[in-house]
Amino acid sequence: MSHQERLHFIADFNVETLARYVAHTAVPGAEVTSAPFGQVMQTLASGSPGDDWTTVVWTQPESVAATFARAVRFEDADGDAAVDEVKRFAEAVGRYAAGARAVFVPTWTLPPWHRGYGMLDFKPGTGIAHLLARMNLALADALASHANVFLLNAARWIDAVGSRGWSEKLWYATKSPFSPALLEQAAWDIAAAIAGLRGRSRRLIILDLDDLLWGGIVGEVGWQGLNLGGHDHAGEAYADFQRALKALTRRGIQLAIVSKNEEATALDAIDRHPEMQLRRADFAGWRINWNDKAQNVAELLAEIGLGAESAVFIDDSAIERARVEGAVPGILVPEWPADPTRFRETLASLRCFDSPFLTTEDRARTAMYAADRERRATFAAGSDLQSWLASLDVTITVEPLTDANLDRAAQLFNKTNQMNMATRRLSQSELMAWASAPNHAVLTIRVADRFGDSGLTGIIGLAFDGARAQLVDFLLSCRVMGRSVEDTMLHLAVAQSRARGATELVAEFKPTARNSPCLDFLRRSGLRAAGDTLFTWDTAQPFERPRWITLRDHAGAVTAGDR
Amino acid sequence: MMDPEHAARLIHAAIDVVNQQLPAARRLNKSPDTVIVGPSGSLDSLGIVNFVITLEEKTSEAIGRPVQLLDETALIEANGPFRTIGTLTTYLAGMPLS
Repeated sequence: MSHQERLHFIADFNVETLARYVAHTAVPGAEVTSAPFGQVMQTLASGSPGDDWTTVVWTQPESVAATFARAVRFEDADGDAAVDEVKRFAEAVGRYAAGARAVFVPTWTLPPWHRGYGMLDFKPGTGIAHLLARMNLALADALASHANVFLLNAARWIDAVGSRGWSEKLWYATKSPFSPALLEQAAWDIAAAIAGLRGRSRRLIILDLDDLLWGGIVGEVGWQGLNLGGHDHAGEAYADFQRALKALTRRGIQLAIVSKNEEATALDAIDRHPEMQLRRADFAGWRINWNDKAQNVAELLAEIGLGAESAVFIDDSAIERARVEGAVPGILVPEWPADPTRFRETLASLRCFDSPFLTTEDRARTAMYAADRERRATFAAGSDLQSWLASLDVTITVEPLTDANLDRAAQLFNKTNQMNMATRRLSQSELMAWASAPNHAVLTIRVADRFGDSGLTGIIGLAFDGARAQLVDFLLSCRVMGRSVEDTMLHLAVAQSRARGATELVAEFKPTARNSPCLDFLRRSGLRAAGDTLFTWDTAQPFERPRWITLRDHAGAVTAGDR
Repeated sequence: MMDPEHAARLIHAAIDVVNQQLPAARRLNKSPDTVIVGPSGSLDSLGIVNFVITLEEKTSEAIGRPVQLLDETALIEANGPFRTIGTLTTYLAGMPLS
């Protein structure tokens, strides 16, 4: 689902070049406006243009903190006074953010040519660099409680372009201190942050093997002959690249393999090579065979349950990259260097993984996918679906939406595609505001079974209007689809509706390019079809739940309504 | 003196930068008669300054010494060097390299 992005820029310098980069290249089609420069506090006080606007507030440290301006002139400067000024600025940003979709605040920086006190510049109480670091940390701390405010690391933009990033000539000519090269870096980071807020961050990296995870062709030299680790500079680089990939899994990014090889030979290398940093359990899936890679990628995505727009394909072969990019619309295929010593930095420079959340579920996702492989293997060996489902010992825990689970709930809202009835994309603040309305209820669903805990993976949103309850949101992570959790969620929705005095539950499916599995489920669920996409249930009749599922109801959804 | 083809490449690289700041329909073509400064050009004053300073930077890197191109007098001259890509290429190619 595409959204018209609306961006407003507030700065104490001429930010027009950045606004143009964003509008015409980084976020094409966005509606972009800029406040008159140099009126930051007045503009913040006048409020956001609207709650669907994202604002960038970019200031120079000396304009926010007069104390810092004195420090730059080598006058005595009280660090505590500077921090107080920062806190007042943060309060203004926080108040503004309450009426905005999101606010991005680039951190404060100094020109690269600014040497401050030289060898004393990081000395507490004296150094300008020390004071600026303190101010940036104070700003981050003061804004930490605002869920829709994000500090963007401007120092990284300067590092990326070096001394060319800051131009005194541009400052005198246009009242912008930053060069187009630096502003381009800023524009792409802003675009990545917006994509993250919209749930468009990538979640899966599909990797080739030969000359990517290791040096050499495993089918020719065997795992013993691969260049990996050891005392060879390229071998060390391959091992470090694997470590970097493994580190990404701790941010919720999954790994998978598509490789032209004999599967047994390649898996033998993964299992047995002593320098492998990634083992079989680190991969959500693989297709190792001699088939077309684009076909393998499509099949693997279907197996894992992710769309191509969630995936990145990395291959050392330009031909394979072109093939997959051309045949799998939506997949990201970055240009990849031939030199393995550049693999780690190329991976780390990808912006496509930026996300506004890092949840417990993210950190545990690799283990969850490994558990799912094990779970599916038991089904393959089993006899019938119902016996298999019963054997899983599924426990569902129902909880209301709270500050403690808001991050994960908002993440689900913005990333779930297939089992998502309405596909509403809501920020944390929008979701909590909606749930807080007296005639609304949001239930979160946690799912565990004997193979592991899948965490918070489902959400029900209900709106009550007299005798009628509307199932507004019904969404479930693809990781737990097909385990009767969907049926249990309908049971909960009916029970909660009855508890709130509704006699009828109405569910309206809103189609997208990706959510037909949800319509398929609703059609076979037992709800009464009142049209192609409209379903109802008379709440006088309980909606039976699968009896093999254990329900822990901390939201009172069943205890109040399931008589 | 700089090879005119080299000068054109530097100008095209600077155009690549400023084109990212322009709507698709107003992006500059890399042809000699494309207007840089003038009523029919796509660049406003901010765009012109960004273009010239980017070109300064790229030229300085290419020849290994600082180059000064931002000259308000030259920018507003009706028949000045910044009128079109062609006139600018000639001007840049005519600059001494040392």
